[in-house]
Amino acid sequence: MATHQEITESLKAFTEGYSKNQRLKAMNRDWDRNVLVLADDIESAHTLVLKDGELSFSEGKTVDPDLTVISNSDTLADMFFGDITPTEPYMNGTLRIIGSEDDILRLDFISLLIWGE
Amino acid sequence: MKKVVSVSLGSSRRDHRVNTVLLGTEFEISRRGTDGDFERALAILRELDGNVDAIGLGGIDLYLYAGRTRYTVNDGLKLLEAVKKTPVVDGSGLKNTLERETAYYLRKHTGLLPPGSKVLMVSAVDRFGMAEALAELGCDMTFGDLIFAAGIPYPIKTVEELEEIAHKTLPEMVKLPFHMLYPTGKKQDTQDEKKVEKFGHYYHQADVIAGDYHLVRRYMPGGLKGQLVITNTTTREDVEFLREKGVGWLVTTTPEYDGRSFGTNVIEAVMVVLLGKSWEDITPEDYLEMMDRLEMKPRVQELGRRP
Repeated sequence: MATHQEITESLKAFTEGYSKNQRLKAMNRDWDRNVLVLADDIESAHTLVLKDGELSFSEGKTVDPDLTVISNSDTLADMFFGDITPTEPYMNGTLRIIGSEDDILRLDFISLLIWGE
Repeated sequence: MKKVVSVSLGSSRRDHRVNTVLLGTEFEISRRGTDGDFERALAILRELDGNVDAIGLGGIDLYLYAGRTRYTVNDGLKLLEAVKKTPVVDGSGLKNTLERETAYYLRKHTGLLPPGSKVLMVSAVDRFGMAEALAELGCDMTFGDLIFAAGIPYPIKTVEELEEIAHKTLPEMVKLPFHMLYPTGKKQDTQDEKKVEKFGHYYHQADVIAGDYHLVRRYMPGGLKGQLVITNTTTREDVEFLREKGVGWLVTTTPEYDGRSFGTNVIEAVMVVLLGKSWEDITPEDYLEMMDRLEMKPRVQELGRRP
């Protein structure tokens, strides 16, 4: 089981990976979204905010998320650290994403463009 | 009589059956759409296995490409594995050769594809051969894979960048349910209005729109100004749809029988029967020779006048 702090660290790595990638920023200038990241085995909530192509995160919940990402703490930490891709946990049901299919696919692409081979 | 059946995840509205003679061999060619029902497609494939001469898989790709690297689509593999005895193909073997040749043919024999033509490929990872050929011919390329598949307004401008992004994304994308990546079933009869509105300008800016027909159709805006569309399979209704949108020229890469062009999966299945070889042993040269013997040329149709 990962800790809240580890998930925070993983999100920090994710946002740093994103911020270094100018191409990703250009790709997402049109996509302002609040993404709630929830662990289902420990008390842990974070909010990723995409605005004008920039990505930031904060601890705690957002009121009205566009996307909600729910999984166990290990999967969340592994995923945001780039040790695993979201596809497999998403396909086997370990990872649930609530939102429109278009938004889910786009989030998957972003993750792969940060951490992909 | 040789029987070739195309089993498609696409709409059953496009089902048809024709009899034809190719190189002295009689063929009955038919299509069975399952309206996106994956389980029904599996059942039909099991029923046909051992009872027909070749099967084409339509409405789904078995393979997507990043340069020379081939990624197998999981859902496509499940369909392939349902067939144990009969040769089964998805058209990707032929497509690579056929669509390259189409680009070369248009340059050599028509004035429709001059150097510098602005080409929008709605999706290129499912037809890397065409992408490479068009770029090699000096076209100004826009690959719309991220735009239309992921909704990311980022036009990819070079084959190299397309390959780089494909290497990053395809290994995982092929694991997703195919319906998340490609319109199947009833979605093939509708347009994605949000994306038409948001990304329609890429069509307007292009001289040439190329790619899989269902993708080309799904995002096509109205008010086009006589653009050329290069695609694979069209019916009479599709041709009317394109005309209404303002398309000026239509080039289909596969031959027409009884008023409609067939998918590459069907033509490849026919070729497998004629060649009498297993799919793995067929080379691009075999396809080229067969295309020559069948006198296969792209079909160029004028739908309206360029302004």
